[in-house]
Amino acid sequence: MKLARYVKFREEKFGGVLFETRSEKVFTLNPTASAVVREIQAGAAERDIPSLLKARFRDDSGAIEREAAAFIAELRQKGLVED
Amino acid sequence: MAAPASGPEAGTPVPATTPATTGSGDLGAPLYIAWQVTNECNLACLHCIEESGPGKAFPDELSDEQVFSFLEQAMDLEIPYLSFSGGEPMVHPRFFDMVAFVCARNGQLKIETNGHYLGPENCARLKSLGVKAVQVSLDGATRETFNRMRVRGDFDRAVEGVRNLRAAGVPIEINYSPTRFNAHEIGAAVDLAAELGADSFYTGRTMYTGNAVKTWHRLAPTEAQYGEYFEVLHRKTEEYRGRMRVHFHEMGLLEELRYRLHHPAALLIVLPNGLVKLINALPFVCGDLRRQSLGEIWGRFQSAWADPRVAKFVEDLAEDPRKTATLHQWVYL
Repeated sequence: MKLARYVKFREEKFGGVLFETRSEKVFTLNPTASAVVREIQAGAAERDIPSLLKARFRDDSGAIEREAAAFIAELRQKGLVED
Repeated sequence: MAAPASGPEAGTPVPATTPATTGSGDLGAPLYIAWQVTNECNLACLHCIEESGPGKAFPDELSDEQVFSFLEQAMDLEIPYLSFSGGEPMVHPRFFDMVAFVCARNGQLKIETNGHYLGPENCARLKSLGVKAVQVSLDGATRETFNRMRVRGDFDRAVEGVRNLRAAGVPIEINYSPTRFNAHEIGAAVDLAAELGADSFYTGRTMYTGNAVKTWHRLAPTEAQYGEYFEVLHRKTEEYRGRMRVHFHEMGLLEELRYRLHHPAALLIVLPNGLVKLINALPFVCGDLRRQSLGEIWGRFQSAWADPRVAKFVEDLAEDPRKTATLHQWVYL
């Protein structure tokens, strides 16, 4: 999985922004979503990303894992990532 | 997970915004730079807001060294999206070098052109360099209206240019400026854009500034014409949904500027001489790339919007809409 061709990501103090330049839509991301995008850019496998973030954020509650999985699904649904 | 730039918090819903509606306050750099690379142009259009034309290059346009320093700063700041316009950007002697520079650094670049230099060879170069899109101004569905508007222009050549883009596989956008003598062709123009293979069609209201100040009596659509114009565009938006995006701004300039006062867009307008404007529709300059870095200018951008002179100018427009005639008398903040 990688960011779609017309999607650009930039880190910001609050997290990051995804910019789909074809439709000119901007998505503002919180730190967890930004961490997901960084893992995508680093080439992590889609199925591994939620658990990677769970470990990185030391979140035993499972909330970040769920949030990351939901965000990946959302990225797919919006066409912001491709295989 | 995602939220507007002004208030990102975990767990909020995911509204998509555009550069024009994204709050700029918390961003480390602009999201979009619209650069007018030169004021020189092969045409002398009746409505040109920049008063471009043959021999109209500014005497102090950025040098090659300044051009590439600016582009390097933009790429270092990871500005995701740039556009090159003019004047006519393709007459700039380093045009293709500048395109190559941005594309090689993975910048997404749009070229805004009158379409008269889009021969097959240039279109193939644009494709191989990887531009995001080329926007061509086609203000008419017929030769008569287009050539009347685009003085020295040639409808057939512009249309041929669009066909060449299509053949080369370059994404196409069409831009349309309404006037009293072409507004009735808007439906046919949208159809033509779709037939030519455009991905997007852009239009809005023509602004009273630049050349339009001198030609307004021949240009200005009536409110009734605008009413029909936008009605057709609403229909065309639906007709082409899923095939071609039809974007149009019905909002008047005053409403838009009042909104901007409180929500400055994450966008910088760079003039051919390196001056940086708050927005095209205001005369205010917030920086000079010949003397300041792009980062420094972005650092001043928010406070410049808060300058009381900006709000006063906008409110004065409510009393006198023709104040836009003075947009080229730059005011340094």
